[in-house]
Amino acid sequence: MQAPERRDRGLRRLLAWPALLFVAVFFFVPIGLLMRVSVYEGGGRSGFGIGGMYTPGSWSTDSYRNLLGDGYFGELLLFTLRFGMSAAAISVLLGFGLALLIVRLPPTLRLLALCAVFLPKLANVLVIVYGLVLLLGDFGPVNSLLAPLRGDGLPLPLLHNFTGALIGEVYLILPYAVLLLVATLDRIPALLLPAARGLGAGAFETFRRITLPLCLPGLATTFLLCLIFGIGAYVAPAILGSPDEFTLSIDIQRQTFENLNWPRAAAESVMMLLCVGALCAGYGIGVAGVRRLAR
Amino acid sequence: MKHAMKPALALRGLARRFAAKTAVDGVDLEVAAGELFCLLGPSGCGKTTLLRLIGGYVAPDAGRIELAGNDITHVPLAERAIGMVFQSYALFPHLSARENIAFGLRARGRPRSECRQRADAMLERVGLDAAAGDRLPGRLSGGEQQRVALARALLVEPKLLLLDEPLASLDRRLREVMRHELKDLQRRTGVTTIMVTHDQEDALFLADRVGVMMNGRLLQVGSPEALYRRPERSEVARFLGDANLLTVRSVDASAVSTTGALSIRSADLPDAQPGRMVMLRPEDLRLSDPGDGRPPNGTIVSSTFMGADGQIVVLAADGNSLLVRIRQAELPVARDGQAVHVSSTPGASWLIPEIPTGRAAVPSVHASA
Repeated sequence: MQAPERRDRGLRRLLAWPALLFVAVFFFVPIGLLMRVSVYEGGGRSGFGIGGMYTPGSWSTDSYRNLLGDGYFGELLLFTLRFGMSAAAISVLLGFGLALLIVRLPPTLRLLALCAVFLPKLANVLVIVYGLVLLLGDFGPVNSLLAPLRGDGLPLPLLHNFTGALIGEVYLILPYAVLLLVATLDRIPALLLPAARGLGAGAFETFRRITLPLCLPGLATTFLLCLIFGIGAYVAPAILGSPDEFTLSIDIQRQTFENLNWPRAAAESVMMLLCVGALCAGYGIGVAGVRRLAR
Repeated sequence: MKHAMKPALALRGLARRFAAKTAVDGVDLEVAAGELFCLLGPSGCGKTTLLRLIGGYVAPDAGRIELAGNDITHVPLAERAIGMVFQSYALFPHLSARENIAFGLRARGRPRSECRQRADAMLERVGLDAAAGDRLPGRLSGGEQQRVALARALLVEPKLLLLDEPLASLDRRLREVMRHELKDLQRRTGVTTIMVTHDQEDALFLADRVGVMMNGRLLQVGSPEALYRRPERSEVARFLGDANLLTVRSVDASAVSTTGALSIRSADLPDAQPGRMVMLRPEDLRLSDPGDGRPPNGTIVSSTFMGADGQIVVLAADGNSLLVRIRQAELPVARDGQAVHVSSTPGASWLIPEIPTGRAAVPSVHASA
């Protein structure tokens, strides 16, 4: 007869199988395919019988050499990183302020506030982004409020540029940032802040010496998550951004469906994956380093 | 209290409600400078709320708080100069023990070098070495954490020190060590201290005076001895130590007869009246073999070995039970089922001044805390 705990472990393994199978079929297999496509020769005569997407059966590093060879991809990557960093930084800053407010609310109000923060996530992303087009346009409500503040009466350029794309992306990311940061602030033991005040520290001093340092790990995690969202941004920059500046995701879409250059699109996707992987690894190394210092 | 000097702390009609519950219900109290005052009561009696009211962590609904004669009822927390040690210690987990201790001085804008120096001196004073000062609170033992919390509260030289169940989270041995150290430290610093505890042993050992609190009210304030020997209310008698609470049945010229089939000298209880309550501590009862005019008035139900003492439950002739504590040496005499004569030590009985109102005479006899 088996010991009960061993039977339990066996059962638990069995329960993990559906999830593992799902991840294998819908995550690892497609990524394997993506990597395979990225080393095809481009411009072949077939694909799914439509023609011109890649050359089946071929092996080539052309797509990677082209990527690294032309300045176009470098610029694209830099722009994407700049966009992602900006969106993540703004989301974390705004989110932290909002989270600090929300954790001070009485329970009922707090629940309502969290619902309000997450409400936009119930709407389709296209509805939100086209809604922002209406809000941010030259004759939209934002400009009719702000334009009089400008001496010349011209509308503020809030649409089809970097600013517009950023506003849209922050709008989409912010709820996640707020949620994570509320959880971070909640983990601070309730008595620490009154204890600091009781020792004579003012509100700002308490924030600077207690709240902020205790939130730093949470802020870093939140920033990383927002950055990953920001780097993968597609809808907001596609609709609200400038047609001349676009993110990697938008270029991948164009390479896939407009240029029909699947190896190139796949190679760009692989590069993006590497980028995100490098950021996560950097974060992990950073956290380990801080832990070692703290010891 | 009749002090020529102003009391270090005075509370006048202090009250605080939480939602439907009155946590603190009109408390008046004066604490003298340098005194170690203990608030004793069961959990949920409002003692921690009272402490937080004094410290400024909770705002009162009514009443005044005076510190050294100044009204501080509405002085903000950060400006009160009152030290507080929380039950959970509330140490800052990301700051070293030394930085925790120096926090109050740093907040007052003192230079780093002075803070470090004074924190080190304080570390030594609470019995920690410099190596412990470099450690984060998570890497300190419970006793060390408590010393850090105490040092942190003391370094700002508070006019008043508040301790919330300072010994509750320590194991028994460490508890006794810290109890001595706490008393010693309080004597040396001379800081007026209010300590909250639910543990009567802590209160009796440490306090100059104890206030027993129940349902948001201070029932009685006095020296540990006064509270133990001369409780003004039955609740106080029950909460502090074990007590046999007996109801007076009849009084005549020579003897007072009570529940528990006891007969007490009238001279000991001159004010006794039927219905009033008499307290006898278990150590104030004596057992003897029946005979020579000592009729049996009880039967031993159980006897328990308790170290130095033995504890015996006697079923009295009237159906009530009595708790008796005798020296261990006498315990072998007591066998379960044995008929005995129970009597009280002359002069040891105490008539509780509180007059029972409305309700029937309390039938229960012994209560253990």
